[in-house]
Amino acid sequence: MLQCIFLLSDSGEVMLEKQLTGNRVDRSICVWFWDQLLSHGDSFKQQPVIASPTHYLFQVVREGITFLACTQVEMPPLMAIEFLCRVADVLSDYLEGLNEDVIKDNFIIVYELLDEMMDNGHPLTTEPNILREMIAPPNIVSKMLSVVTGNSSNVSETLPGATSSCVPWRTTDIKYANNEVYVDLVEEMDAIINRDGILVKCEVFGEVQVNSHITGVPDLALSFVNPSVLDDVRFHPCVRYRPWESYQILSFVPPDGQFKLMSYRVRKLKSIPLYVKPQITSDGGSSRISVMVGIRNDPGKAIDSISVQFQLPSCVSSTDLTANHGVVNVLSNKTCIWSIDRIPKDRAPLLSGTLLLENGLDRLHVFPTFQVGFRVQGVALSGLQIDKLELKVIPNRLYKGFRALTRGGQYEVRS
Amino acid sequence: MFPQFGATADTLSKASTIMFRIGTDAHLYDDPEDVNIAPLLDSKFDSEKCEALKRLLALIAQGFDVSNFFPQVVKNVASHSLEVKKLVYLYLLHYAQKRPNEALLSINSFQKDLGDTNPLVRAWALRTMAGIRLHAIAPLVLVAVGKCARDPSVYVRKCAATALPKLHDLRLEELSSTIEEIVGTLLTDNSPAVVGAAAAAFSSVCPNNYSLIGKNYKRLCTILPDVEEWGQIVLIGILLRYAIARHGLVRESMMFHLHSKEHSSSENDDSDVHSAVGKVGIDPSKKYDSELASMISRCYIEGPDDYLSRSSYSNRVSLAFSGAKFTSCKNNEDVKILLQCTSPLFWSNNSAVVLAAAGVHWIMAPRDNIQRLVKPLLFLLRSSRSSNYVVLCNIQVFAKAMPYLFASHFENFFILSTDSYQTKALKLEILCTISTDSSIASILKEFQDYIRDPDRKFAADAVAAIGLCALQLPKMASTCLEGLLALTRQDSFTSDVRTSEEEAGVLVQAIMSIKMIIKQDPPRHEKVIVQLVRNLDSIKVPAARAIIIWMVGEYSKVGEIIPNMLLTVLKYIAWSFASESSETKLQTLNTVAKVLSNSRGENLETLQKIARYVLELAECDMNYVVRGRGCFFRKLLSCHLGSKKLEDEVITSPENEGLLNVLSEHMFHEQAFQQSPIPINYRVYLPGSLSQIVLHAAPGYEPLPKPCTILHDADTEADLSEQDGSGSFTGSLDEESGSYNGSDHSVTSGGNTESGSSNEDENIQDPLIQISDESHLLPAASADLEELMSKRDLETWLDDQPSLPNSSIHKESKVPRSARISIKDIEKRVRPKTYELLDPANGNGMKVDYTFSSDVSNISPHVVTIQATFKNCSIETILNIVLKHEDSTTKPSDCSESSSQDDVPALVPMQEITSLEPGQATAETIHVRFHHHLLPLKLVIYFNGKSFPVKLRPDIGYFVKPLPMDVEVFRDKESHLPGMFECTRSCIFKGHVDDLNKEKGDHTFSKDKFLVVCESIVLTMLSNANLFLVSVDMPIAAKHDDASGLCLRFSSEILSNSVPCLITVTAEGICSEPLNVAVKVNCEETVFGLNLLNRIVNFLS
Repeated sequence: MLQCIFLLSDSGEVMLEKQLTGNRVDRSICVWFWDQLLSHGDSFKQQPVIASPTHYLFQVVREGITFLACTQVEMPPLMAIEFLCRVADVLSDYLEGLNEDVIKDNFIIVYELLDEMMDNGHPLTTEPNILREMIAPPNIVSKMLSVVTGNSSNVSETLPGATSSCVPWRTTDIKYANNEVYVDLVEEMDAIINRDGILVKCEVFGEVQVNSHITGVPDLALSFVNPSVLDDVRFHPCVRYRPWESYQILSFVPPDGQFKLMSYRVRKLKSIPLYVKPQITSDGGSSRISVMVGIRNDPGKAIDSISVQFQLPSCVSSTDLTANHGVVNVLSNKTCIWSIDRIPKDRAPLLSGTLLLENGLDRLHVFPTFQVGFRVQGVALSGLQIDKLELKVIPNRLYKGFRALTRGGQYEVRS
Repeated sequence: MFPQFGATADTLSKASTIMFRIGTDAHLYDDPEDVNIAPLLDSKFDSEKCEALKRLLALIAQGFDVSNFFPQVVKNVASHSLEVKKLVYLYLLHYAQKRPNEALLSINSFQKDLGDTNPLVRAWALRTMAGIRLHAIAPLVLVAVGKCARDPSVYVRKCAATALPKLHDLRLEELSSTIEEIVGTLLTDNSPAVVGAAAAAFSSVCPNNYSLIGKNYKRLCTILPDVEEWGQIVLIGILLRYAIARHGLVRESMMFHLHSKEHSSSENDDSDVHSAVGKVGIDPSKKYDSELASMISRCYIEGPDDYLSRSSYSNRVSLAFSGAKFTSCKNNEDVKILLQCTSPLFWSNNSAVVLAAAGVHWIMAPRDNIQRLVKPLLFLLRSSRSSNYVVLCNIQVFAKAMPYLFASHFENFFILSTDSYQTKALKLEILCTISTDSSIASILKEFQDYIRDPDRKFAADAVAAIGLCALQLPKMASTCLEGLLALTRQDSFTSDVRTSEEEAGVLVQAIMSIKMIIKQDPPRHEKVIVQLVRNLDSIKVPAARAIIIWMVGEYSKVGEIIPNMLLTVLKYIAWSFASESSETKLQTLNTVAKVLSNSRGENLETLQKIARYVLELAECDMNYVVRGRGCFFRKLLSCHLGSKKLEDEVITSPENEGLLNVLSEHMFHEQAFQQSPIPINYRVYLPGSLSQIVLHAAPGYEPLPKPCTILHDADTEADLSEQDGSGSFTGSLDEESGSYNGSDHSVTSGGNTESGSSNEDENIQDPLIQISDESHLLPAASADLEELMSKRDLETWLDDQPSLPNSSIHKESKVPRSARISIKDIEKRVRPKTYELLDPANGNGMKVDYTFSSDVSNISPHVVTIQATFKNCSIETILNIVLKHEDSTTKPSDCSESSSQDDVPALVPMQEITSLEPGQATAETIHVRFHHHLLPLKLVIYFNGKSFPVKLRPDIGYFVKPLPMDVEVFRDKESHLPGMFECTRSCIFKGHVDDLNKEKGDHTFSKDKFLVVCESIVLTMLSNANLFLVSVDMPIAAKHDDASGLCLRFSSEILSNSVPCLITVTAEGICSEPLNVAVKVNCEETVFGLNLLNRIVNFLS
């Protein structure tokens, strides 16, 4: 049971507090928290559960905003973390991004949302679609209206119908002139290539994202050509378990609008689209670095937004890096980002240069890991293919759209 | 070309941000007080009210107290605008508890709203009404909740369910049965959404009322997949607990394993089943650590604190849950359906649900089906960074108990550069645990990559992990050793350039890992030792050198090469002795001594030379520890050193010499010492619990219920036996009444000291006073000690003639030769405070005083003994004196029955004093059971036919009794009560200043100042509370007068439930001035601990 939620800005200022139970939590806990953060640094920042002298704290950091929840009694820690993640999701959805200003500007909405999402320390309504009906998100129209009329209420006067129906994620009376449903496969590829250039792990985490605008209460069934490639799956609450168990068919009544229908995982893949070959040689107080990037297995579609990012070892004092293609940026925290975008036809992109080591150091003995980002539109690299999407009751006009996209996830090349 | 655009670009962007903020509440947050809020609240326009309320909320958000607007805000609760209502509710909920009287004004409006046609209005009204938590309106709220629990709207019913815990928090006994009734109705609701909320209410209102679950168990199971996700988490836990309490553990599950082993002889049918499973299944018995699995299952049922503390009695195993009964999931429908209905939850999008479902399968599923939980758990690792860590913590426990589960999924634990340090460390540990012969090659390859990671702390961990893997899979030992050796040769460590501290850490870890592997089989790895020794010249890190040199001594006789090169090596280390760090010097001394005492004839002369050289150098060393060690070895090895001159110096009688020989023999010769299997002492809590992450029992943590504790047909009174331990301050204990009645043979006897002391005088070997040297180094401190304290002081410290004091406070004094503060003195001076119960002026010349006694009551260990003195100050004889309860006229005279039922403080009836002559006084022992109530107890004294009401004030200091223990036990217990169980306060202690001044005046016998301070603190503590003095740590500080570091430890246990309560008093400051005293109380009963702490601070200052 959570007792209190604090929203902290990236400078440690308490922007908002919401007491949830009768046991009030004093703000001083935030001061303690921030002091610890300053004295322990990064390792503390990444600790999701903290036992403070008086409370147990859960923290989730999103785009510089720290969501801090306190409790004094036993409760499932994942419940608290998951809830804070939902709050962060809902807020960034409502406010179109998260930052200090946007939260302060819309603090009333934040309060109303928190009040609706949690009652007495237990989550109440967290389904984004329902929340949208209860508390209207700020948009240009309502903003203008409030300027003009000086009056605006973002609190709905009635209870959303969905709360009482048996499909609590969908409002019942929806009408569209054009019925549309879009299904996107969005995949992230994780890979680890070790020091010897061997692929030790390669897998894909994918999501089936659906955007549906359909009149009435539609009943959809989505099937795949090759469901056997899926290693494990997780579903939106709307998916019925039974048909999946027996026939691997996703049968569901969709929420209105955009939602994540399913996430899946495909393991033990063998081919990666890109190769990255780093080479580092040290000699007499400086190191030569060269990184080559090229296409290993052509996915059939263009690979774009390619970038290579790595953290220079702390013993490097200065660098001189150049690339024959793309832009190289070295940030103040010694992160080096090389944006390539597309690989040109005529030459392989090459980053080369020297790293000057700190005084007294002869050669480099720690080596950076290269994180590779890319994007392939139109292909799901896991090989998963959608077979068909069926509707039980077909409205007069229905437009169905399918897309696929693969991004680089935790794609790491060690050197 | 268009300069005007360039100029306006900046202003445009500014304008756009302004545009962006238009219509938001930005100006309200930035400057909430730029207008006068009060008139706006009274405005007749809703928009103005809204603005005012928003400004107030902005102030709340920023941490200002705006409760002074409360009356004006409350008025607006009747507004028809929903937005105004919502804002008012937000404000009300924040401040209602602070302004209860004004909050009552809003109740009418809520009552009206509860009848509104709009369900949203009803729900909000109910939520707010329950949320303001006022005792006065609790009955009203309960009626409202009862009404709303039958509301047609699902949302309102859901809110009714969430309102129940709010009511329960008020702790009104008379409402509890109705609350539970409503929980029961809501659990049977048709809508899954309501059931979810009702489950949450159940777990916070009446988690042990299994009869409510029993009625609906099957329905709850089948509805589980449809319940909303947050309700699922709670409901899974409830169903699991019910299934165990009702049916016991599953015979085929992980939890059963050990039990079947132990009782296989007695329960033949069980063992048959088990062996059958073993054969059919995937041969699990070999592949997982049965001891660990059994420990885990015990921890789940008993809680690790109970379980681990019992381990000290060495009968961990025999005390197993012999009463536990088992069931089989093959023929038990209830278990089957639970497993069936939780398995689709593995597909849930909510990571907490998946983990909760995995917990059920971990505990209940048959071992060969347990595999199911692996993939979903691994999938969770990808969900979010924060949950990643929590999931890994749980996987770690699973993997330790059943490594084979995760063995084939090792790639999932490969480390990413973006992981946090904690995650990396956890992954390393899991990788070590699950490594098998087939996967070890890839895992080692990974580890080698990690060694080059920029995070050097992590690199050192990876090196340690390589060592662990080698221990686990002896086949790989030589491969691992090679890799580690190569690492030590790496030029980053051996180059002359200063290596950073972190680099040194990696090297030291590498050599420690090598040492660990060699220890397994020294002769086989002889060459490794040789190589290490060869590298000695290039390795510069002192700690690493020290370990290598230690190995030279330890393995000096192993194999063939080492004995041959030994002399050269010794020469080398002797040569470099002067330039080493003290850590290495100590090891060099050890090695030389070992080799010398082990040597038999060959090269003896050279060895002696080397030894003398090294010892001489050591005795002139700057560091006193090295000096001390040098002197010590010289005396010890005098016979081996073999120089005439030396023998003259050291006055040794022949038998003394023999003794020394034996001593050195024992110290240095290789002993085939058996490594006793180290008992595994992990603290394990239920999967998915907060306690498992923070590794101590968080308040409210409950282990699984005892298996089969509810009878098959008992639906009504099944919960009684399990309601203790819920952490409530005035918990009633059923067994109290039993012991109470059983021992009423000597109710009124006054001198009852023998009963308590006879069985408690265990030998306490540790000295009461520990002299702690600040550098924490061992024996050489005696010389320094003498410099600080005069001989006479020491004599007063160490009382030479222990006389047997018979006060129960000082039972430890029966132990001869233990050093302590001159106890005779103190015990005479311990004078518990006397309070007045009845004043002769008010009581017709009757004077009654009372003193809390430290004696253990002979009636029941839970009652507090009070010594009351009745004195007749009048001129007439007083007849028939008796002390009774205020209302005992109506109660039956034997109040022991009634008192054990309700927890009101109760007085054990006192024998009547028939008459008291003028001027005569008599002492009576009265026994009171306070039940932790701190309010004065109202009593009546009857005599001469009249009654006089009096008040007996409880003293929390006597709700405890001394718990004898030694320092080790104390430390151990203390370490088990961290965090939330610990409270600290400090105060100024002045009691000793007067004593010191007194001492000054009388010069004939001036005591040590420390002693006076100690005495004074101890005296104050023991005079005011019933404690046991465990130890006194004396500081040996540079300054004579500095009492900083003085630390006194007291232990006690709470009378009513025998929970230990540890008190540590630490002083700081100058002896002759008031001291800053920090008092720390470690107690599982936090509330009690806090009260006790306050009391101690109160009397100390």
